[in-house]
Amino acid sequence: MRRAYFPALLLAAYAGVPLVLGGNAYVMSLIDAALVIGGIALAWALLGNLGGMVSFGHSAFVGVGGYASALLTAKAGLPVPAGLLLGGVGAVLAAIVMLPVLRLRGPYFALAILAYAHIFRILATEWTAVTGGAAGVSGVPPLPVIAGIDFGGKTGAYFVILTIVCVFAWIYARVSASHYGLALRAMHDSEDATQVLGVNSTLLKAAMLLLSAFMTGVVGAFNAHYIGFLEPDYAFAGLWVTLPIVAAIFGGYRTIAGPLLGAVVVYLLDQLVFKTLISSGHQLILGALLVAMIVFSPRGLLPLLTRGRKSDAGT
Amino acid sequence: MLELDNVTVRFGGLTAVDNVTLRAGSDDVLGLIGANGAGKTTLFNAISGLVRPTAGSIRFGGTSVVRAPMFRRARLGIGRTFQIPQPLHGLTVRENLVVAQRFGTGKVDERRIAEVLDFTGLADKAGRDAATGLALTELKALEVAKALATNPQLLLLDEVLAGLETTAKRRFMGMLQDLHARFGVGIVIIEHDIETIATLCRRVAVLNFGRLIADGTPDAVFRDPEVMRSYVGNGVGGGHG
Amino acid sequence: MSDLILQALYSGVLAGGSYALIALGLALVFGTMRVINLAHGELVLLAAYIGYTVESRLGWSPVAAIPFALVVVCAAAACVYGVVSRIRVDREINSLIATFGIGVILTNAILLVWSADVRSTSSAWLQEAVVMGPLYGMRGELVFFGVSLALMGALWWWLAKSWYGRAVRAVASNRDAAQLMGIPPGRTELVSFLVAGVLAACAGVALYSVGVIQPALGGALTVKAFIITVLAGVGSIPGVLLGAVLLGVAEALTVTLASSALQELAGMGLFLLVLFVLPNGLFGAVRRRG
Repeated sequence: MRRAYFPALLLAAYAGVPLVLGGNAYVMSLIDAALVIGGIALAWALLGNLGGMVSFGHSAFVGVGGYASALLTAKAGLPVPAGLLLGGVGAVLAAIVMLPVLRLRGPYFALAILAYAHIFRILATEWTAVTGGAAGVSGVPPLPVIAGIDFGGKTGAYFVILTIVCVFAWIYARVSASHYGLALRAMHDSEDATQVLGVNSTLLKAAMLLLSAFMTGVVGAFNAHYIGFLEPDYAFAGLWVTLPIVAAIFGGYRTIAGPLLGAVVVYLLDQLVFKTLISSGHQLILGALLVAMIVFSPRGLLPLLTRGRKSDAGT
Repeated sequence: MLELDNVTVRFGGLTAVDNVTLRAGSDDVLGLIGANGAGKTTLFNAISGLVRPTAGSIRFGGTSVVRAPMFRRARLGIGRTFQIPQPLHGLTVRENLVVAQRFGTGKVDERRIAEVLDFTGLADKAGRDAATGLALTELKALEVAKALATNPQLLLLDEVLAGLETTAKRRFMGMLQDLHARFGVGIVIIEHDIETIATLCRRVAVLNFGRLIADGTPDAVFRDPEVMRSYVGNGVGGGHG
Repeated sequence: MSDLILQALYSGVLAGGSYALIALGLALVFGTMRVINLAHGELVLLAAYIGYTVESRLGWSPVAAIPFALVVVCAAAACVYGVVSRIRVDREINSLIATFGIGVILTNAILLVWSADVRSTSSAWLQEAVVMGPLYGMRGELVFFGVSLALMGALWWWLAKSWYGRAVRAVASNRDAAQLMGIPPGRTELVSFLVAGVLAACAGVALYSVGVIQPALGGALTVKAFIITVLAGVGSIPGVLLGAVLLGVAEALTVTLASSALQELAGMGLFLLVLFVLPNGLFGAVRRRG
């Protein structure tokens, strides 16, 4: 994505969207949710691109982040902004528990993460004393009112999630451009070749897992406060795994903007089109879309469409 | 500086390195020879950390490194090239060296990178994609450059000349001859060509079936009857592959 | 107390039979194509639902559903093969995502067709208790344990003696060499998928016959198969059976000594234990990075 577009995009996002669409609560809620998915998709793509690991268990981080923040604010009375951060920390702790699986090869890693996601959901359902069990946590406090702006409302929350996503995209870009980014990319092919040059590849991979977990946890925490309640089947739902993956692949998971744009398109498609076609099994279409994309265009659909206009900037 | 004592590496029933005791310092240009499968690369793997010895101790600069992971040994000063070049994929030649510098020494010294690029003849190819944009000679030069960029005290060169044709080989030889003088780094080099070893090295060690059977000046070693027997006698079915 | 534990061991061993079939199916495909079929659990579940349909529509015993399940599941497995074989770029990762997508399709298709209600067999014959000394088992459990053992024996024979079985082993051990020897890799891979389908079909019907099923079960089954391969590796049939029995016993013990809701955690606990204590699996089969 060309640097020159940034100011215009930011302006459109921060000013244009609220001005034009801010009055329509339904549309804003769609956009808010799309950005939540986008944040998770971004974190997922970061783990894949930089960490070289494909995860089918990001729902674990969404759920843990959401629960951590919900419980700390609703039960322990911490302020919501702190909750958001601590949601990220909670997800990091969950990732630390996952560290032993880093030594597994690709497919084994993916399955191990899937197993962890199942487990966290079960824990949330059974550990009733802490998590409220299957009934979940209700009365999760909304985002606060600061300086007269209600960040708990649809448009106020939009600014929060937009900022979160932009900050994460920035972090992703900085890491990718740094020396660590170079080493991480080299590690995909041969860790030995990098280790022999002094790269602590295990530490770097672990760092990417933790970073991806943190980002997802913060987004999950945001979502918990946005929705206002949490229960295990929702917090750890398979949709948190499927949608971000479809979004990231659709938009082109090798780029930073790809997952975000993909999230907006795919989520809107899902809510507006797929759900009207098959309301309770709409995920089926998502799954079919995913399979079709992988087989026919693994680098994503959006890059295909834009290739005609700009010269391929190393996608 | 490098002290190997009774190092043994066993893979299941196979003894690849058998009770090897060896010393190498920053003054050394040590040749390591032996028939195919004699254990030379395995020894390198044990020194650089790719493989854990079944027995024995490995010390570098006075500290034991036998438990240290690969990257730590690299940072301590053990540099190593691979027989089959392993350039860092997705990166340019220059970026390969930047990674080596940054993670092998802790900081990036542009002058050192330029010096290494120049020395290995890669200066004008610095922007090329390391994995796809280089010929074999250049890939091998990059192997050496990468290792050099970590500012090593001891450099392990694993058959850098293999597969090169004559002119390239001669150029490489010249480079290797200068290596020790120019960078003050100790070298242990595995090669098959006796002449190369004789020209480059002040000391030669010979491995046979994993055991060290000779360690001395080239003259002395090449006249050693056991060494000669190991080469002639190994003609049929020798080595472990 | 020890009676309870003995009973748990017994139930666990019986459950291990079906688990082994599921794990073997996953391992077979991984062996030939180096691809983990994340939709494998859903294939098993599909067979289970076929069992339900046969019983509820035709009134037959679920055991009679096996032929139907074989047809449907093998057809589905062939479709999965069709998708996976079209993936050329980054096959390891992309096939993971593709089979994950197929799993989502299957889970939701099952949800649409059969709804989210929990189902289990109503066959009295299968549910009847068979008492052996202090041990109690459902007839269904015993029947299908026997079926599982028979299938594993047949599989072992097939891999050792039949042409395609040996082709599968050849391709699994060295694809290029096998190709050079005239073994068609594509067809062999398809065969491995079909055989995995056979194993999955039987395991699925077994599952329906002895337990309860619901659409969400697919993913959990794949995870269990995976845990067994971590425990036992993909190398040998007896090894997988042992790993499967271990998982079954761990689950049964957890249900007996702790609570039935924690059953899934048992497998996870085993998995983590192996990862921490025996990083190469029980039989040294989990591959590690360097």
